[in-house]
Amino acid sequence: MKNIFILFVLLTVISSCSDELDKVNPNEVTNQSFWKNETDAIKGINSCYSTLHRGGFSRWQPMLYDVRSDVGVSYSPWSDLANAINNFIQPDSNFGPMVDVYFDNYVGINRANAVLANVPAIGMDSNLKERVLGEAYFFRGMHYYHLASLWGNVVLQLGPSAPTDLPATSSETQVWAQVIKDLTDAAARLPKNYADPKDQGRITKGGANALLAKAYMQIRDYESAKKALDYLVTGDGASSYNLVSNYADNFKITSEFNVESVIEWSYIENPTEGTDNDVQTANHNFGTSVGQFYAPPGVGWSDAEALRWPIAEFEIEKTITNQRDPRLPATFLYNFTNEAGPAATMVYGETFLQRYGNNKRVSFRKFLHDHARNFEGYRGINNYRFIRYADVLLMYAECLNATGKTNDAYQYVNRVRARAGLAPLTTGMSQTAFLTQIKHERLLELTGEGHRFNDLKRWGDLAPTLSSKDPGFNNFVKGKHELLPIPQRDLDINPNMSQNPNW
Amino acid sequence: MKKNVPKLIKLAITLTFCLFAFTNSAYSQSQITISGEIKGIDGTPLPGANVLISGTQTGSAADFDGKFVLRNIPSNAVLDFSYIGFQSQSIEVNGRATINVVLIADSNNLDEVVIIGYQSIRKKDLTGAVSVVDPIKINKNITNSLAESLQGLAAGITVRNGGQPGQNSQIEIRGAASFVNSNPLYIIDGMIADANQTVNNNDIESIQILKDASAAAIYGSRAANGVIIIKTKSGKEGPLKISVTLNTGIQQIPQTWDVMNSSQYANLQKTSFTNSGLIPPSSVGANFNPNINTDWQNEVTQTGNTLDLNIGASGGGKNSSYFLSASQYENKGVLIGRSFQRTTFRINTQMKKGIVTIGENLLLSNSNTKQPLGSFDTGNPFFDMVTMLPVIPVKGAEYINANNPGGWGIGTVDAVSFSKNQVAVTDVLRERINFAKIVGNAFVNVDIMEGLSYKFNVGIEASYDFSKGIRRNGVTQFNAAVRPSFIADNRSRFSSILMEHTLNFNKKVGKHNLNGVVGISDQQTKRDFSLAVRSDITELGDQIFTEINSTTGTSVSEGAITDDYRTFGYLGRINYDYDSKYYLTLTGRIDEDSRFSKAHRTGNFPSIAGAWRISKESFFNVPWINDLKVNASYGELGIVTLGSFDWQGTINNNTRAILGGVAQVGSYQATLVNPDLRWENRKTQNYGLEASLFNNAVKLSAAYYNSLSEDALVTNLPIAVYLGNLGGTPPVNAGSIRNTGFELEASYKNTSNELKWNVGFNLTTIKNRVEEVGNRGEGIDYIQTGLTRSKVGQPLGQWYLLKTDGLFQSQAEIAAHSLNGNPIQPFAKPGDVKFIDVNGDGKITDTDRDFSGSSSWPTLQTGIQFGANYKNFDLSAQFVGVFGNEIFNSVRQQLDSYQNTNFRSDVNPWTAANTNTSDPRIGVATNDQGLVDNARFSSDRWLEDGSYLRLRNIQLGYSFSEDVLKKVKITGLRVYATGQNLFTITKYSGLDPDVQGNGILERGVDNGNWPASRIIAFGVNLEF
Repeated sequence: MKNIFILFVLLTVISSCSDELDKVNPNEVTNQSFWKNETDAIKGINSCYSTLHRGGFSRWQPMLYDVRSDVGVSYSPWSDLANAINNFIQPDSNFGPMVDVYFDNYVGINRANAVLANVPAIGMDSNLKERVLGEAYFFRGMHYYHLASLWGNVVLQLGPSAPTDLPATSSETQVWAQVIKDLTDAAARLPKNYADPKDQGRITKGGANALLAKAYMQIRDYESAKKALDYLVTGDGASSYNLVSNYADNFKITSEFNVESVIEWSYIENPTEGTDNDVQTANHNFGTSVGQFYAPPGVGWSDAEALRWPIAEFEIEKTITNQRDPRLPATFLYNFTNEAGPAATMVYGETFLQRYGNNKRVSFRKFLHDHARNFEGYRGINNYRFIRYADVLLMYAECLNATGKTNDAYQYVNRVRARAGLAPLTTGMSQTAFLTQIKHERLLELTGEGHRFNDLKRWGDLAPTLSSKDPGFNNFVKGKHELLPIPQRDLDINPNMSQNPNW
Repeated sequence: MKKNVPKLIKLAITLTFCLFAFTNSAYSQSQITISGEIKGIDGTPLPGANVLISGTQTGSAADFDGKFVLRNIPSNAVLDFSYIGFQSQSIEVNGRATINVVLIADSNNLDEVVIIGYQSIRKKDLTGAVSVVDPIKINKNITNSLAESLQGLAAGITVRNGGQPGQNSQIEIRGAASFVNSNPLYIIDGMIADANQTVNNNDIESIQILKDASAAAIYGSRAANGVIIIKTKSGKEGPLKISVTLNTGIQQIPQTWDVMNSSQYANLQKTSFTNSGLIPPSSVGANFNPNINTDWQNEVTQTGNTLDLNIGASGGGKNSSYFLSASQYENKGVLIGRSFQRTTFRINTQMKKGIVTIGENLLLSNSNTKQPLGSFDTGNPFFDMVTMLPVIPVKGAEYINANNPGGWGIGTVDAVSFSKNQVAVTDVLRERINFAKIVGNAFVNVDIMEGLSYKFNVGIEASYDFSKGIRRNGVTQFNAAVRPSFIADNRSRFSSILMEHTLNFNKKVGKHNLNGVVGISDQQTKRDFSLAVRSDITELGDQIFTEINSTTGTSVSEGAITDDYRTFGYLGRINYDYDSKYYLTLTGRIDEDSRFSKAHRTGNFPSIAGAWRISKESFFNVPWINDLKVNASYGELGIVTLGSFDWQGTINNNTRAILGGVAQVGSYQATLVNPDLRWENRKTQNYGLEASLFNNAVKLSAAYYNSLSEDALVTNLPIAVYLGNLGGTPPVNAGSIRNTGFELEASYKNTSNELKWNVGFNLTTIKNRVEEVGNRGEGIDYIQTGLTRSKVGQPLGQWYLLKTDGLFQSQAEIAAHSLNGNPIQPFAKPGDVKFIDVNGDGKITDTDRDFSGSSSWPTLQTGIQFGANYKNFDLSAQFVGVFGNEIFNSVRQQLDSYQNTNFRSDVNPWTAANTNTSDPRIGVATNDQGLVDNARFSSDRWLEDGSYLRLRNIQLGYSFSEDVLKKVKITGLRVYATGQNLFTITKYSGLDPDVQGNGILERGVDNGNWPASRIIAFGVNLEF
């Protein structure tokens, strides 16, 4: 009995090795052991680029700029979607696609914040460290640019997120100030270009300045915007950029990262992926699904389509050789994409006539794959050219005009027109007339590239009167629909936040 | 079914072979020998009845004919005769050589033994809340798992069932007190292991459900959701006994939605477009094809079937016993492409030499599930087969192209549907899952001295799961993206090893009884997986090559250790009673768990309970009360709802930068963590009363409980989007939830006539109240999850929705629904749904959501069991009743949105000429805010009364009389017919009001829930 009892006590003692309770996670390194060296810094900044192929960012966000503007339309049978992105009807502020965009921008901000918080303490090459921090500032600035453009009054997360963070809403003005601060910090640190081809696609000083200029223009600080653009147009960066001779090359998978590319989001195919969630598995979607959602019916979801009125704008002016503006067939897939008509217009391997008969629907073409494949899908590989040099030149002209230097501005517009084969503008326009011309030029050059909504907003043109072109604007209320509603999910959690005006 | 018969014969032969290995009959010789027979009052022998020399462990058990022999017995000894279910007797030997004993059935069953964890005690000595469920009642039901069978059979147990082959049920004991996990702990023969669909119910000998802290505290950190203890069968001394049960039946979906045929659909779809001023699509107009009239529900459903075959063999000698069983269960589902099949083999043996007893209980189980592979394109058949348009054919030549080689009907631009073609789903997406599993334990028990024994118990659960997914080329949905075919093999291993040392003691001094247990327990659990995928499968004619080596595309692999944790505990319990009149139980456990940081690793779980048998007091003299006992307990329990490594922040390496045309590794902390995670703690009080009345014909047991969870670990909570958190919500110790309720179990039996009958009744009320939600921000005393809100002072997950108030009948009514002259619903038209402007701001927004006044929690749950015997016939019935809850019918929401869906046959849309209806006007919602609002998801328009009363099971049996059977050397033969879920009385318009819901916080959402099947089956029980 006594022996047994001793044995029992002994067993108890032996078994209670509490060190055995320290289990090591064999799957992932812990926070404490990361952020130690240069490799960690590079991996950290790489995670920021990963956001670009998340679904909200790559798929839904372009629609919020294209379809909500006066050139886009949605006949999506998903009426909640059509109403939200085209008709300014969104009863549910938690509506999935909208929250996805909002969320992915904050995912990107959280990633940039991780780099900004941890990389400064790493002992590493100081040039590389500056570059990495520059990239992180760019990403934070770029994501706040989208949040400022779409939601306006949002919360500013400027450090790594903690579960208990309950920040107050910052005003639209404060958010824009943060965008400008971050992009300025980015431009100061980023290199002109990258020597190593493995770095193709990393953000450059030119890219940061171009987006900085866009941000300044949205708050109508054209003077500062021009200064930022100087780098690309007249300064150190000018020699790196030019216009490609064939306009359509900007939208083909065969001519990516050409000389016109200022900011370009890169996509490749991962045939075995099973998810868009880029943290769930390394085997996720590296492509963009914008094509699947923009492609015409029978090919893709056709959630985002174009209105027909802009076609007439392209047809106003012929080229100097009396041809149709070559930008028209590059911009739209419709029954006359081939001038010979629907029987000659090819739509993913079949003629327009075969597929749609006399249908008058128009698809945005620029980021489709119809030039290369007969299908779309979620794994699109056509890079999204976010800012092209043609955009930079037109922005520069707009800034010069806005700051009273209209005469200096013609050359830049003419450069863009010349590439399309159009004659130079007649000089002598008033500041107002020149702005009107700029509006026309931007419509023809940039339609379907995600800039139209911000252009209209900057010009003060968002109004119910646009309903003559786009009936969706019948529902537009000034002072409300310039911004999207803040998701109620966040308002439910954080009482320091407030809903946007009139929502 | 046919092809498995040889397999079973093989098993039976193996079984028989094993039996001979265990024969044992070496009796020692001595001078004084006593023999005799132990019989019941009706003269039937009582095999296995015990006879012991009083005050010793020496004795024997009656053999198959009730005969016993005791050798080497002092002539003045006193013999104690006992048998479960009978009153014990003590008889003085007085030198007699033959003693025949008649034991009297103990209809009060107070000597019934209950396992309460590491110890068995008499049921009459219980101080805590324990429900015992008769396995015979369980096995009347044809089910996938134990939990499913338990529905309605015990007070305090809530079971919500599904109907998919191989699907598990949701089971809760005394409500939900965690935001994350409300599953009870299962103990199978002393091993902590989930009694899921891989376990065979026919092997179960007893089931005890520990409901309060006193009963469950011995399992400490894992017991907060209650404990279900299962003991499997063991052999009794006697010759080989073989039992065979065979049960086979058909299974049907209880009902389908009544939706329109193609011409009805075409008419209403035309009306819808015309109402919106649009040209109807040609599929319902010029190109309407009367030859296409697809009844999608008919295409997707089928008559299922079930087969359940069990062969058991048991017996034993003086010092050993065995129980062996083999079983085969098969279920072809009520939807095409789904089936479940399970083969099990059990070996339970026990042998004794001197003071040492060695035994083991082992289950080998092999299950196969067949179902469509889950993916983007799979959908939910309970939505899709209802909403898919009848003008779309299942297949059609016009659909055949490179991306849709099968020509599956998926709709066109003129017949738009986003429902998946569920016939195509079963063809394009295939999955087979195999679970191979061992669960069991082995033990050594040493009787150190009288009243003190030591036990070393080792438990093991090991399972090897393999799922093979095949995606063929093809599409299942209109406009869906084209995806490559692939084969995916996913293998995972799970192992859990439990080691326990316990000392049991038992001391009786006069009228003082003291017994208990102390011990240590150590459990290690590990789970890992590896996944291999390669794209581009090979098909030759009808043959689909199923192995990865046959594919020609790109490979992917993944693998991880998803769980690796260890729990170490010290446990103890002392039961004291004085003369079976006053009872005191002290229980405690200290657990350490690797899933917490060092600072928060240890938890203490004490409990105390007392009972008083009033009926034994001398002052108590109520002749019709045979037994009356009250008890009370208080204790603390724990639960771990965390993953193995949740408290540590880790770096996610899955992000990829696409740079220079290649994917480059990106890393950062994707998932936020809260390092200060602590135990989830539950403080539970229980007050109970037990009584036997009217010569033990009526038995009553009632309990009131009050359980408060503190520091409830809150995971999967909505987290602010602006945090950019990915990969799961970080858990926080935030919540506190109280569950209170009343439980009653009552039974009556009448055995005095030739018609013997009994009825059992149980009743459960659960009042659930959120006490605290933690620091969620200034003024925030709630947690919002989709359709529900969990607010302090309210039950968990109450409906929080927009409130509707009928339909606008006229423009004047719309104008009148205004604030300061501005209409509240400016886009509304007559026939639209009127919403209540709860916050009075003149608009309808999400801020107008409010508690709907109804709950997803039932106010009352009941079960009724009825049984009767007349001559050779027996009849039993089980009813389940759930009352007072509301269900959110999301299938109806989709149907009644009117967009891209078929319509209910009885839909009656409002028109100016048809105003006496609750269905709003019909039209195309694009650019029509009124119609969009009508179909708004988060509205109380979709709530429905979820109360129901169901005939869960009815069974009629006939047992052949012994005289007939003796001639063919059969000891027992019973044939029976069973009907399951034959009728349900409910107002709910969906397929089944017994919904599993969408997690703990949205328990009442019918997300296309798989309804419980209607089953008609026939069976035979054979013993020889």
